[in-house]
Amino acid sequence: MQELRNVFSGRAFWTTMIALTLLTGYSFIQAVDLYSQASKSAVGYPELARGMVPLEGIFVPTLGAFYLAATLLLPFVAIRSIALDKETGALKLLLQMPLTPAWLVTTKVAAIAIAIVALFLAALSFIPIWLHLGGHVHTPELLNLLTGHTLYALDIAGVAFLAATLSDSLSTAAIFALAFTLGFWVMDFAATASGGLLHRVSFYSLTAALHQFEQGLFNLSAVLAMTLGAIGLFALTATWLPTGIATREKLLVSLAIILFVSLGALGASQARVFIDVTENRRNSFNPADEAALRGMQSPLFVWIYLSPEDSRLKEMEANVLGKLRRTVPRLEIRYEDTTGRGLFSSVPDDRYGLIIYEYNGKQAESRSNSAREILPLLHELSGTSVTPAKEPDYRGYPLIADASGYVVWFYGILPAFILFSWWGLRRVGTTKTTPA
Amino acid sequence: MDGIELLRAERLSKSFSGFKALREVSFGLRERDILGIIGPNGAGKTTLLECLVGLLPANSGEVLWKNQPLPNSGRKDAMFYLPEDIVPYREQLTFRLTGFFRDTYGLSHERERDVLVRLQLEKVLTRRVGELSRGYRRRVLLALALLAPKPLLLLDEPFDGLDPRQTVEVAALLRDESAAGRTLILSIHQLADAARICGRFLLLVEGKVVGCGTMEELQRHAGVDAENLEAIFFALT
Repeated sequence: MQELRNVFSGRAFWTTMIALTLLTGYSFIQAVDLYSQASKSAVGYPELARGMVPLEGIFVPTLGAFYLAATLLLPFVAIRSIALDKETGALKLLLQMPLTPAWLVTTKVAAIAIAIVALFLAALSFIPIWLHLGGHVHTPELLNLLTGHTLYALDIAGVAFLAATLSDSLSTAAIFALAFTLGFWVMDFAATASGGLLHRVSFYSLTAALHQFEQGLFNLSAVLAMTLGAIGLFALTATWLPTGIATREKLLVSLAIILFVSLGALGASQARVFIDVTENRRNSFNPADEAALRGMQSPLFVWIYLSPEDSRLKEMEANVLGKLRRTVPRLEIRYEDTTGRGLFSSVPDDRYGLIIYEYNGKQAESRSNSAREILPLLHELSGTSVTPAKEPDYRGYPLIADASGYVVWFYGILPAFILFSWWGLRRVGTTKTTPA
Repeated sequence: MDGIELLRAERLSKSFSGFKALREVSFGLRERDILGIIGPNGAGKTTLLECLVGLLPANSGEVLWKNQPLPNSGRKDAMFYLPEDIVPYREQLTFRLTGFFRDTYGLSHERERDVLVRLQLEKVLTRRVGELSRGYRRRVLLALALLAPKPLLLLDEPFDGLDPRQTVEVAALLRDESAAGRTLILSIHQLADAARICGRFLLLVEGKVVGCGTMEELQRHAGVDAENLEAIFFALT
């Protein structure tokens, strides 16, 4: 309760909440506007209407506001929870009380988790409005997306906790935490323009993990890895929080935690459980194709001669390679060095754009990045004949609506309600009869 | 030293980046003693208190509790240290802070009320900790220390921020606590305050003990006639 009061008594939380409300409102109104414009063309054209998916048109961009708040503002709320205790001397009292460091950190995590839920409540106020406008919600997609954002926020809180514990001041901790979270942005950006190790490492970034949830994919490995990451960061915080333990001892415990989390993450990466929660099965091949691909017991090698920034490779990653990784049991993809041989480069190379597949000693080549052409090639290599199964028809959810009237809610009523709650919470108890 | 020793510090040393803050500090303490740690600024008084209570790891040395080694992890069961100049939970109301201590230590409302009344804190309980005057804040912190049910209390500058009347009242309160069975270690830079309440003294200069004992013992050690702590302190330093 004391920790909860600590979080909710600070300006950082309420400022974050108001900023999130404004960002959510802006994102939602913009998203609805764009969705409506796209829907105008889609009405009457079933092929275009199939592309009107609320998950990618409304939910992901609107909850992008929560992502921004979690990345840039939540660290300040979490850092405050520990840094303030250090700065005001409360930590010296807490460490002498009959509470273990693990318990202290657990109560702080619980308080931050409640703060995250409260932030979600503000951010998710767009859902009833979307439904009221006549929009469609596919619950598994939304729940999966919320799971991803929750785990992301907990990881960010873990980074912030550790930063606050290791730093002497609030500002140093903030710089440390922001450098870490923004580092993922830099890494993702750099990975799109360079291949090799950076490209491979970027698959394991927090933003890449969240991106899977945004695509409507439940990946157990990602869930376990993000959970373990958060637990590891909280455990490191509990290790470094007590001031009376020698640094050498703390380092040894930290090494043990890192080893445990690394082994756990390695184990988690073997959990090949993927659930495509999207209504249009955008993350899956036809079930008949998937059954054939799962039957490929020998290793399938793929050599790709495309530079990382080439849009064809990005499209192929989303539509083919990601799905192959989830279905083919033994897949090895090699991104060949194409430095200086891109579309606009001066060094010509005949192989640029080529993709070579090898299975059981047989090879096939293609320049296509479409599943429609690649899958028959793979079936031919594995010697299987596939007849596509009939799938339920997804018609899409085009909607022409105007959400601009809801600016009053996002920019007026909700921020006012938050300010009122803040004021009300500060007032609680000040008129209470003293216990003495 | 007569009587059963409650606590003994044996050759405690502490360095910060090469700077020696404590140099093999040794002293003993009996039950119900009120020991004053006296020394100029930077003498190592706070470092000594934090090493004793386990908030800082000592580089070497040992702390014994009733003649048994007391590891860092066990210190919080035996003692409670009140740091100087802290403002914990400044956004929260005072009664919530004392209530947090009461609940964590499983104390009764009567015990909390008794401490609050003795420190005359009834009027400020519904005010935020950060909004209290220095004197009231100091008394709230003293209340927290008194609520901690530990046989040994270590108080860093307990009279700082108190006016003369409050100083006398708090000194009387601390003597009552000692008479009721508590042992106290007080770090005090005002020699007059120290002489008023402490039965024994530990003189610390640049991290080294230059004298330890009762006023009479220190007089003999310093070779001065005056029953004046200031004169003894200057003679020994």
